[in-house]
Amino acid sequence: MSSATTNEILPRHADLVEERLVRWYFYAALAYLAISMTGGILMALQLIHWNPLNGIEWLSAGRWRMIHTNAVAYGFIANAFLGVLHWSVPRLTLQRVLSQKLSYFIFIAWQAVVLCTAAGIIFGPTLQAQDWVASLTDQLHLPMGLGAQGVEWGETPFWIDPVALLGLALVAANFLTPIARSKGSMYVTLWYFMAAFIWTFLTYAMGNFLPEYSLTGTSAGAVGGLFIHDLVGLFVTPLGWGTMYYIVPIILEKPIWSQGLSLVGFWGLAFFYPLQGIHHFLYTPIPMFLQYGAIISTIAVEFVVATVIINFMGTLWGDGRKVVTNLPVRWFYTGMIFYFITCFQCALQVTLTFQKLIHFTDWVVGHAHLVMFGVFSMWIFGMMTYLFPILLNKPWYSRRLCEWHFWLSAAGVFIMFLDLGLAGVFQGYYWSSLQPWDVSVTGSQPFWITRMFAGLMIAGGFLCFLWNLLRTARGRSTDSPTAVSAPA
Amino acid sequence: MNDADQSSPKTPQKRTATSGRLKPAVLVVMSVLILVPSMVGFIMKFLEFIRTFQDSTDGAFAITPMLNYLLASLGFFSLLVWAAANGMFRDIEQPKHQMLANDARLNAERAASLR
Ligand code: HEM
Repeated sequence: MSSATTNEILPRHADLVEERLVRWYFYAALAYLAISMTGGILMALQLIHWNPLNGIEWLSAGRWRMIHTNAVAYGFIANAFLGVLHWSVPRLTLQRVLSQKLSYFIFIAWQAVVLCTAAGIIFGPTLQAQDWVASLTDQLHLPMGLGAQGVEWGETPFWIDPVALLGLALVAANFLTPIARSKGSMYVTLWYFMAAFIWTFLTYAMGNFLPEYSLTGTSAGAVGGLFIHDLVGLFVTPLGWGTMYYIVPIILEKPIWSQGLSLVGFWGLAFFYPLQGIHHFLYTPIPMFLQYGAIISTIAVEFVVATVIINFMGTLWGDGRKVVTNLPVRWFYTGMIFYFITCFQCALQVTLTFQKLIHFTDWVVGHAHLVMFGVFSMWIFGMMTYLFPILLNKPWYSRRLCEWHFWLSAAGVFIMFLDLGLAGVFQGYYWSSLQPWDVSVTGSQPFWITRMFAGLMIAGGFLCFLWNLLRTARGRSTDSPTAVSAPA
Repeated sequence: MNDADQSSPKTPQKRTATSGRLKPAVLVVMSVLILVPSMVGFIMKFLEFIRTFQDSTDGAFAITPMLNYLLASLGFFSLLVWAAANGMFRDIEQPKHQMLANDARLNAERAASLR
């Protein structure tokens, strides 16, 4: 955080922020979210025996599922946060990114990485089955097939992994330079962002190289556990919290309740998050002392979460009405409530007693949707709702469509979460009472049908947003900045 | 999309005084709650790890995740020491005020340039 005094001349916003790039990242993010939701709906249809694409091998449900998750993580969330970073880091540090040209290069390279991952997932297995590809793979001594890899969240084909890692190194260099050049004590957001650049690079390297090349069996499983959890905790979480610490005080027009408490939270996350991943593999052959270690550090992180929640509630204190009247604030605080629920769930899930029931069930899928959509996507939508009118210099075309977007998303994800949580409990009891597998599948149908409708609600809300955005972009510009931020 | 009432000034005196006392208390309680159980848990697990590593083949197999963790944590520990040594935590609450002031000035400059 640069400590420019009130008399010092600040750089111009236009010299710091490349607004066009922020818009591009947001558009790319929205395009991938549309693809991901299509994948989710197709997968949901498959589970209720209603898949319209049945019989088309390269559009089979297994591949769409990977498209669904990869497009969300690397397409939607990564692009959206990159857009937010291009807005917030230069404004917080009062320094430009390392190179504007590099920023454009990274934008193009990242889209290539995501699209190649999608191509690898969709066409890879079919291509690999061709004789000539198999013999080429042998001749060139390729370590594995051309398509998706069997590592959860690390499905990116092996030939993309080094490129993606290089991309992450460039992103780190581009943003760490202004942070390093900034003067004075750093604001908490910059601590989180700085950590995210380092952690994401390390986490990606760990999850995409160790299990593929050097580890086998349970060791690879343990690292896989660290990888999937650290992706959420060390890539998405610091970017998400960093963004919240930046934007909430700005919109509420008052400083965060306690920067000291926020730093306690930050260092707590830094030291206790990385060990938790193994809690995904309780009751596996991984040694029990590592499983217990993961349980303890998970409980420690619950306190870290409490610091963050206390801080944001303290900041909102006295301005509670804003949650009703101000849409971005509503997105942010709804996301925070969902965050609290997911963390509370974690505290239960991490116990061995609870794991016995819910492991491998839809409970986990409900949890995943609440955290990825209910929390981080909500924050991203809050950011977009706030920034798009500024970036386009136009007020939102319709406040009502903004409201529909919010309510359909919030209600949809909450219904999905409750529905899948309940489905998980039923499935757990079916299995523990040793009923045939088919019984649990048939018993899950009502829940899966409900999930389908909840998904359609989320998709409906998203369509409202896209339509609103299109109409806003086509509308007339205004030269009055106050009109931009006023309700339509 | 911000509502019109958002610029109304607030922060009554009473509230500031209460939260002034509350903040250090919350800070200390949270620090103790987070750091003490976590450090105890961590040290216990670490000692157990060393014992297991010496006694059986199980330990060797746990080395990769532990090393990953230690390497990452060592980096952050160095960063913490560096930040403290460079006075980053001396006036701990100052950056939050500076951030808001800078942002408001950037907004005003941007708005002026649009007119
Ligand atoms: C259109 C609405 C959506 C529908 C119908 C839907 C449906 C699904 C389905 C059927 C699965 C596979 C579950 C299984 O294998 O049993 C899944 C997985 C997943 N979805 Fe969605 N989804 C939707 C939106 C989203 C959004 C917006 C996000 C994130 C922003 C998301 C994140 C995830 C994640 C992380 C998983 C993996 C869960 C796990 O492996 O435990 N989904 N989704």
